[in-house]
Amino acid sequence: MASISTADFKKGIFVTFKNEPHQIMEFQHVNPGKGSAFVRTRLKSLKTGKVQEFTYKSGESVEELPVETHEMQYLYPEGDGYVFMDNRTYDQVTVPKLLIGDFVRFMKENDTYQILIHEEDAIGVRLPKKVRLMVTEANEGGAKGNTVGGAMKAVTLETGAEINVPLFIKQGEMIAIDPETGSYVERA
Amino acid sequence: MKTWQKLKTNPILWKQYFVRERVIKEVRSFFDERKFHEVETPILIGNPPAESYIDVFQTTLLDRTRKGTPAYLSTSPEVALKKLMTAGIGNCYSITKSFRNTEMQSNTHNPEFTILEWYRVNTQYKTIMDDCETLLLSINKTLGDGNILKYQGKSFDLSKKWERISVKDAFLRWANVDLLEFFEMEKAKKICAKKGYTVASKNTWEELYNQIYLNEIEPHLGVDTPTVIYEFPGSMAALARKKPSDPRFAERFEFYIAGLELGDCYGELTNWKEQEMRFQEELKELKRLGKTTYDYDNDFIHALKEGMPESSGIAVGIDRLIMLFANVTNIADTMFFPIGDLFEK
Repeated sequence: MASISTADFKKGIFVTFKNEPHQIMEFQHVNPGKGSAFVRTRLKSLKTGKVQEFTYKSGESVEELPVETHEMQYLYPEGDGYVFMDNRTYDQVTVPKLLIGDFVRFMKENDTYQILIHEEDAIGVRLPKKVRLMVTEANEGGAKGNTVGGAMKAVTLETGAEINVPLFIKQGEMIAIDPETGSYVERA
Repeated sequence: MKTWQKLKTNPILWKQYFVRERVIKEVRSFFDERKFHEVETPILIGNPPAESYIDVFQTTLLDRTRKGTPAYLSTSPEVALKKLMTAGIGNCYSITKSFRNTEMQSNTHNPEFTILEWYRVNTQYKTIMDDCETLLLSINKTLGDGNILKYQGKSFDLSKKWERISVKDAFLRWANVDLLEFFEMEKAKKICAKKGYTVASKNTWEELYNQIYLNEIEPHLGVDTPTVIYEFPGSMAALARKKPSDPRFAERFEFYIAGLELGDCYGELTNWKEQEMRFQEELKELKRLGKTTYDYDNDFIHALKEGMPESSGIAVGIDRLIMLFANVTNIADTMFFPIGDLFEK
């Protein structure tokens, strides 16, 4: 394990907090006054999936967990997780549901994702910048009573997820989504 | 996408951004009704008040021969308003831009922000608590749902008296810490270590204090009702005066709604000697921290020597007020041109 300082914090890195592995979901700098600076974090437990806040003193040292990224193909859901396979070694891993979060809405079977591995445990999926998915159901009429230019309508994607898109998007089109916010980015 | 582009593609958003003008109009009419003078204070200044937790923006004022003098962007209108009170203006307020450097990567800070400060002469700082209650209620009557402020799924009845708790009581109640005991550095270290925080020899008392405050106190503030937390430790007095009956504490309060810190109020320090000493200490601290330093505002010390009336005043982040009434969680969503739109990484 490597010690890092709060200055090295990045969204998505893994650290030890109260002797348990956690992921930094978000962090913010706070300056409450008198020269002292702090970093407020939201930490997700890899054991329970629970998210809690903790505020570190700026410059405090924290243990970062070594994490490898493996390119793997998504196979199917199973129990409380999702099974992925390494196409070269045929190794299979299960990523627990509680560590995947909302991203599962945009996961497509047989597509390849970056799987995060810590000490042989699959602990999450590195979110791509964009995911490309097909619109399978779209109401061509647009949202009822909504005549303001630039308005949005709800469509269904091939993964079953529903999202809001501009009115000009039609059934069968490919669109790009930002998986972090779950929002429409552009035609793809 | 820049904010203007978002507005062009999704005009529904205009409503959220127009909350700014509506809030500012309400604030103006609130103070106009109470006969406060609205004054303009300078944004470009030669001598900031020394405050170690703020990093100032530095620039250069050039004369006609291009000879330079250090100049700074104002971090708050406080000392300008205090000089005017010394001159005899009476109750006054200002809505102006202020600038604080190194305040990026935060949902509640923008290096350039809009600040409201108001001051009452010959008034105890507890009167400002009442002002806060009535101001928020009066904004809500126009922008919100009558007495009820709805923010992020929570409702606050602003017609009810806000929770008021002293820092000392808050430490006891939520952190189980006796603050008087915690005042001693050695005890503070022990208490923090026992709670599982890392304690290093370089840590200052303020760091230990704030680690408990931020982790164990702040999450409870403004949860069910707005909260006023008052009487700060004397070492965190900033420009506040010490409590006459107990100088270990300062006449300073902050108020919170839904976890958002919205305002910082002082019973104002009028003693010029103490003010000058504090500026010198703050300047030392600025140097120690490697932040931008400057010659502090001596003209303000002169004003205090002339005799500033006893007064109380508060700084409220207008942008955070707008977050509240626009029901957004990121300060950038209240601004047409947030810092991220102006400076690409």
